[in-house]
Amino acid sequence: MLLSVLILFGLLAALLGTGIWYWLSWLAMIIPLIVICRKIWKSKAATKINTMNY
Amino acid sequence: MAQLKNIKRWFWWHRWTSLICTLFLLMLCVTGLPLIFGDEIEGWLNPTHYADLPKDTPMANLDGMVSVAHARYPKQLVTFIFVDDDEPQVLVNMAPGWNPDDPLRHSLQFDSRTGKLLNDEPPFSKKPASFIDTMLDLHRGLFIDLPGELFLGLMGVLFVISIISGVVLYAPFMKKLDFGTIRQDKSRRLKWLDLHNLLGIATAVWLFVVGATGVMNELSTPLFGLWQITDVKAMLSKYHGKPLIQQNELSSVQAAYNITQKTLPGMQVMSVVYPGNAFGSPYHYLVWTKGNTPLTSQLFSPVLVDAQSGKLAAVVKMPVYLRALELSRPLHFGNYGGTPLKVIWVLFDLVAIVVLISGVYLWIVRRKFYKDYFEQMAGSELTEAYPINSTHETKF
Repeated sequence: MLLSVLILFGLLAALLGTGIWYWLSWLAMIIPLIVICRKIWKSKAATKINTMNY
Repeated sequence: MAQLKNIKRWFWWHRWTSLICTLFLLMLCVTGLPLIFGDEIEGWLNPTHYADLPKDTPMANLDGMVSVAHARYPKQLVTFIFVDDDEPQVLVNMAPGWNPDDPLRHSLQFDSRTGKLLNDEPPFSKKPASFIDTMLDLHRGLFIDLPGELFLGLMGVLFVISIISGVVLYAPFMKKLDFGTIRQDKSRRLKWLDLHNLLGIATAVWLFVVGATGVMNELSTPLFGLWQITDVKAMLSKYHGKPLIQQNELSSVQAAYNITQKTLPGMQVMSVVYPGNAFGSPYHYLVWTKGNTPLTSQLFSPVLVDAQSGKLAAVVKMPVYLRALELSRPLHFGNYGGTPLKVIWVLFDLVAIVVLISGVYLWIVRRKFYKDYFEQMAGSELTEAYPINSTHETKF
């Protein structure tokens, strides 16, 4: 839900504003992508630890 | 059980709407990638070297450019003039007649500040299509214009339905797991299902917006057609029966440009369509303008200037559906927030490709997987009403 709001904000911020709004737009839009990378990295790291323990 | 039936119904919609449109969506995602940086790629492939002049150098006289064009092609008509807002260029478009598909249509490129002719381009029909043009033709209409546009619009509708149904399904499919969990240590199918769900839900709004605005863009031809046969026709009805204006009777195009700028000081002239052009008025210069703010720069406003007297005839009010179409363009192309937004658009596009491919993979391995899944879901519904977060283990 939060990610959806961030994307929506990012899409509209750059459309309605300029300057600082561009920066806020880029920031808001990049967060979901960072979350995706983090989740994938975390799951891979967890698998590695599990394998080592096993 | 009713809940399970409901989920199965949504699942059916998600599966079939996705499957039908996936191949075309993959094509759209792949061809969309270069289009995001289309202007930059076009600039690299076909560089134009402009005179090094101060940034605030005023624009040269359009009448002078038109005179040069007429001198080179005295038997041809000027069909429209394009004033570029990105590069210091003006394109004077000419053709032997008013047929919009005339194979001899061509353009002359002028430096907008000096008025100097930079390039007398060959007819469009003889120019080899650039890489970006080819991608755009495929992306927009599968190389078959309107039928292709309508077909891809339909695929876009299916895509939007598949996103909505995917969002609805996300909660029941992932209710026992933390957000974004990818079960790497379970089966490969589960890993791909989790990845599909994570990528899909995290980018759902972007996918929805780009999908819905894509549908809107595919409808641009019929929407502009509707506007022409309703509002434009009504607006021009008072001129019905008047003789068409010949090009040697026209008033100054520079004067039409100036009067538009004077009447709409916050607007920037983008193009001037000559009287007689199928996409304009038989009696006016149709001057397309756009605003200077981030939002209004996406909204185009047409102005009619009487082509004989040179007087401003009307500032045309665009209908809501065309305003919606104009706003849908930047939201589809991602070209309104600088280079970083374009890079983000590329990354989202790549995520969309993975969502599509993982969706196809899940369908290929579907049978036993979903049979087991729904059986397990039915079992959990019988034992508890809302088995949320009871465990992070899934019993496949």
